[in-house]
Amino acid sequence: MVNINTLGIIFPNTYDELIPDIALRRTMASVPFAGRYRMIDFSLSAMVNAGIQNVTVLAKTNYYSLMDHLGNGREWDLSRKRGGLHMVPPFAQANQKMYHGRVEALSSILSFLESQKEKYVILSDCNIASDLDFADLIHKHVESGADVTMVYEQSVIPEALKTENYTFAVGADGRINELLINDYRQGVQNLSMNVTVIGREELISFIKDARAHNLIHFERDIIAPSLKILNVRGYEYTGYRSRIYDMRSYFAENMRLLKHENMEALFPEERPVYTKVHDEPPVRYAMDCKVDNCMVADGCVIEGEVENCVLFRGVKISKGAKVKNCILMQGTVVEAGCNVEYVITDKNVTITQDKNLVGNESFPVYVQKGTTV
Amino acid sequence: MKECIAMLLAGGQGSRLYALTKKLAKPAVPFGGKYRIIDFPLSNCVNSGIDTVGVLTQYQPLLLNEYIGNGQPWDLDRTYGGVHVLPPYQTATGSDWYKGTANAIYQNINFIERYDPKYVMILSGDHIYKMDYAKMLDFHKEKGADCTIAVMEVPWAEASRFGIMTADENSTITKFEEKPKEPKSNLASMGIYIFTWEKLRKYLTEDEADKTSSNDFGKNIIPNMLGGGEKMVAYPFEGYWKDVGTIDSLWEANMDLLNPNVALDVWDPEWKIYSRTAGRPGHYISSGAKVDNSMVTEGCVVEGEVANSILFAGAQVKKGAVIESSILMPGAVVEEGAHIAYSIIAENVRVKKGASVGARPESVEDKEKWGVAVVGENVTIGENAVVGPRAMLEKDVQDGEKLW
Repeated sequence: MVNINTLGIIFPNTYDELIPDIALRRTMASVPFAGRYRMIDFSLSAMVNAGIQNVTVLAKTNYYSLMDHLGNGREWDLSRKRGGLHMVPPFAQANQKMYHGRVEALSSILSFLESQKEKYVILSDCNIASDLDFADLIHKHVESGADVTMVYEQSVIPEALKTENYTFAVGADGRINELLINDYRQGVQNLSMNVTVIGREELISFIKDARAHNLIHFERDIIAPSLKILNVRGYEYTGYRSRIYDMRSYFAENMRLLKHENMEALFPEERPVYTKVHDEPPVRYAMDCKVDNCMVADGCVIEGEVENCVLFRGVKISKGAKVKNCILMQGTVVEAGCNVEYVITDKNVTITQDKNLVGNESFPVYVQKGTTV
Repeated sequence: MKECIAMLLAGGQGSRLYALTKKLAKPAVPFGGKYRIIDFPLSNCVNSGIDTVGVLTQYQPLLLNEYIGNGQPWDLDRTYGGVHVLPPYQTATGSDWYKGTANAIYQNINFIERYDPKYVMILSGDHIYKMDYAKMLDFHKEKGADCTIAVMEVPWAEASRFGIMTADENSTITKFEEKPKEPKSNLASMGIYIFTWEKLRKYLTEDEADKTSSNDFGKNIIPNMLGGGEKMVAYPFEGYWKDVGTIDSLWEANMDLLNPNVALDVWDPEWKIYSRTAGRPGHYISSGAKVDNSMVTEGCVVEGEVANSILFAGAQVKKGAVIESSILMPGAVVEEGAHIAYSIIAENVRVKKGASVGARPESVEDKEKWGVAVVGENVTIGENAVVGPRAMLEKDVQDGEKLW
């Protein structure tokens, strides 16, 4: 598509509270995932791959790591004169108080939205890594003549999400007839993936109305009460996805990528996922090291034994160390003689000589950023 | 104004790399898992604080142009300076290919003078080394030299392959011989020069006027300056340096990265080697795979055995395949049960099931017939085909075909 006529808006902070440890000093968007990526890379790259050249990131708190990651957007080809990447921290306007819901967040950029040219807006959270084809989504939205299109998947509602989800009742015609908030039913439901397409002018008038009535939540206060009047349609995503909603799912979703077909599904060649380049050298496997079923990012040095692990950039496993079923983030060092199992280390953790650090599949040990064990 | 700018000679065909440089200029040949040869001098420049680089191209420049692009991966996208690709061009009085290294610089005098530099570095695009050019420039200024040539000691037996310097105790060069039969010294020129621009411009202009000259730095400019009584000094370099102009030296230099005793360290965060990367996800080592003393980079999938080898981005080694002491360039695929030994497999080659390429030196009786096997880019080696050592393939090999 030469001109997709859509601008993107990303909410990096939604769901931060679901993984309080990892998101202690970062946003959900900047949570490291899959070896060399951050969660935002998936939504951002999907937008760029669909031809969207105008993306706004509406940050709320803890956004330093996110700003560092995104820079001027060059790695996503979003360093442009027309459009490009805009990072909007809160308090962008003097009279703005810290916002709660999406409507408030959007109302802080109302004048920006009004001055744009694009006909459509796509809104996305960052807690799901997927290969959603945004171009197809927008195309279907336009073709169907919908006022709003919302993406969902057929899934059981995870326990951790029972107090924070939307599900849809979708009719045979594809229309969403009912929108349930914090659905607690058992079994497979049409679970929202928090990606929405809407006309830009329509969005602006929704926000203005909502502000006048002191409404906060986009789905609850605007969409749900208007399903009879508005043509709100569902778009089902059936591809591979990693949904992060707690520490266990964070661990499991990283591990699931050790099945190579999952890796290929999340990173298809025709729709690459872009991320910040660190210029790390290739991985060095020393003599007599042992590696089995691992995903390894560049810059690592492996001298010891590693099994069923996801290693982020620049991890060092010394000779005589044994690491199994672990997720080791950027710059983790495991010294000689260590035995490490079911552990998630955050960035720049050092596990000193001869330590025995063992967690459990249902309860992986998490070691905070910069810690020396 | 810039104090010092660099001119990088990248026009060479690299004919001694045969199949590897058929469609590729030598500086663009992949090296060390995720680099191309030119990344080394370019990264040295930016790490040394030289932010203006002219890259002189001539032979098969398409990929090299695209690779360098706006210079962003090397931080050489600058508003004043940065990296510029300089192919030969047409002028009102005619046009000419670059006749020699000196002529290439001569034809770009206008480019150099835009920056009004005091010093000009001349670099070559086919050497692997890490060097702080700022230190060499300090040396040049300290000695009050007109020309400084980086030199290193080479084994006496190999000295006749190089430009050999004789220098006195003050590092002043007293004698220069290009590839001498009986070398008087083992200080070899590394092809890295710093000139005081005013002097170089004078000698370039004189050299251009001399119709008998071969317009070459080693053959003409350096001897002429020495003869003209200019102050020329030798800057001693210690560390890793290798000319990768032949198949053997290219293979060896790659293998040197795997040798912990060799001083070529691409892992040093203080002196990163930058490159334009494909940006793929981390590589995957499957269950049952074996990786020993090797380098593997993003996008690779290893299901077989890899030992003493270097895998570039996106290379794939399927189940039961064995790779030993070899180099798999970007996108090379080695299918089930195939065996690669002592080989360079170029970009996007496919080695089909059960095929065999190259051999260990000890498995060949006549040592004269052994050598590194090379498979050129996009070639397919058919199922169960056999390709012997020292092969140089530019065309597909049929299923079951035997080339030994």
